[in-house]
Amino acid sequence: MKKLQITALVALVVTIVTFCMFQAGTLLHLKSGFLGVLSPIARSGNAVKSGIGNLSKDLMTLDQLEAEYDRVLAENRRLRAENNGLRDLQQDNDHLRQVLGYRERSSFLLLPAMVLSHDAGVWWSTIKINKGSKDGIAPDMPVITDRGLVGKTTAVSRDLSEVMLVTDENCKVAAKVEGTKEQGICAGGRNPGGELQLTFLNKLADLQPGQKVYTAGVSGGIFPSGISLGTVKSFHARALDGEAVLEPAADARGLEEVFVVTGAK
Amino acid sequence: MRRSLLFLVLLFLLTVSVAFQNLLPGIPPSQERLQLLPVVFAFGVMALPLVPALWFAFLTAVVQGLALLQVQAGDAEMGLTLPVVFFLGWAIVLQMASEMTRGMRWELHALGSSLVTLTLLGGEFLVLCAKRGGVPWDLSVSLRIAVPAAAALLIAPLLYLLLRSLVPLVRGAEALPKQTGFGR
Repeated sequence: MKKLQITALVALVVTIVTFCMFQAGTLLHLKSGFLGVLSPIARSGNAVKSGIGNLSKDLMTLDQLEAEYDRVLAENRRLRAENNGLRDLQQDNDHLRQVLGYRERSSFLLLPAMVLSHDAGVWWSTIKINKGSKDGIAPDMPVITDRGLVGKTTAVSRDLSEVMLVTDENCKVAAKVEGTKEQGICAGGRNPGGELQLTFLNKLADLQPGQKVYTAGVSGGIFPSGISLGTVKSFHARALDGEAVLEPAADARGLEEVFVVTGAK
Repeated sequence: MRRSLLFLVLLFLLTVSVAFQNLLPGIPPSQERLQLLPVVFAFGVMALPLVPALWFAFLTAVVQGLALLQVQAGDAEMGLTLPVVFFLGWAIVLQMASEMTRGMRWELHALGSSLVTLTLLGGEFLVLCAKRGGVPWDLSVSLRIAVPAAAALLIAPLLYLLLRSLVPLVRGAEALPKQTGFGR
């Protein structure tokens, strides 16, 4: 074996041993740096994805117009197209008013952020948002929408943050059930499928489908009290406690905009 | 110089694949996610000579380890040690397979990509089960592992076609099997 290869091999062994000895804190710093490297790629990719999405929307509109061409007069077609355009603008307007209204009504200090990507990790539920430490975000800040709790920030780089979704098994939230004194721990499953499990309830609790579940806001916890988590789908008693299955209030699959709770007003 | 070029191209692809796989939509019906990193990894370790391949495997492990890093109560759930062992192990196996066939072949790359994906996802699940307790194995878990592995089998030839012109520059044409058609 050549001298250079032996040197490279020894260097590799030393590097591996060094990396494997890193503690969790060091690894988290490394991850922040890694997110910084990924940030421009994720932002460009997201911009391209949005562009393609808009293109396909335009194509769909053209298809629809072409289908209508056989059935209606030219004047009628022009007016319909104009109406469609106005309706889209109205929807955008309504959506933005709703988002803005929620931000102003909320009792929290909210920082709006855009979802850049839904991570491909199979056993973890995380997303990346386009705000980071330069915007005042730190790890363990709650992330919400106008519908309810989304999750919490974990790793934060300068202009990109990772959010662990409430549907992740590791995102545990103290929760209370509307109209009862029942409290429990809410978390996702190992195989994130979009449902939440509310455990450590009284096994005699009389929970009904449709009852709302909110964050309990325990002292020293991350999540403030009163944020919607979801609604009860079913309840069953186990050996020692009761468990309810919840439909999450904020569906992570269609998320585009979220708010990071940076403090209270 | 040429080896360094391929190494840098592969490193770039590795980083891009991590970002790009996050932007891809899920595969219906259960929205399983495509895994591009194992496909790039399998190509890299088969195309590069042994020592650079081991370095590439190490860097893949660092990228994958950091991408999945979650710290719970001051403890890293999946640190870097397990990914490093996993990817170095697969690098050695794929290098040996590549040597046995006297060079890289597209079939081998596709099979390697699929097996790496299968064992990566299966291994992650087992590590999580060991750390968190319980083995909640059901059909959806099987699908979450099997579908990306099957997808890797289909994606791998595309990457091979894209990069195969770079491979003879590195390993030397004399080391490659004499073959026409899709394989080299």
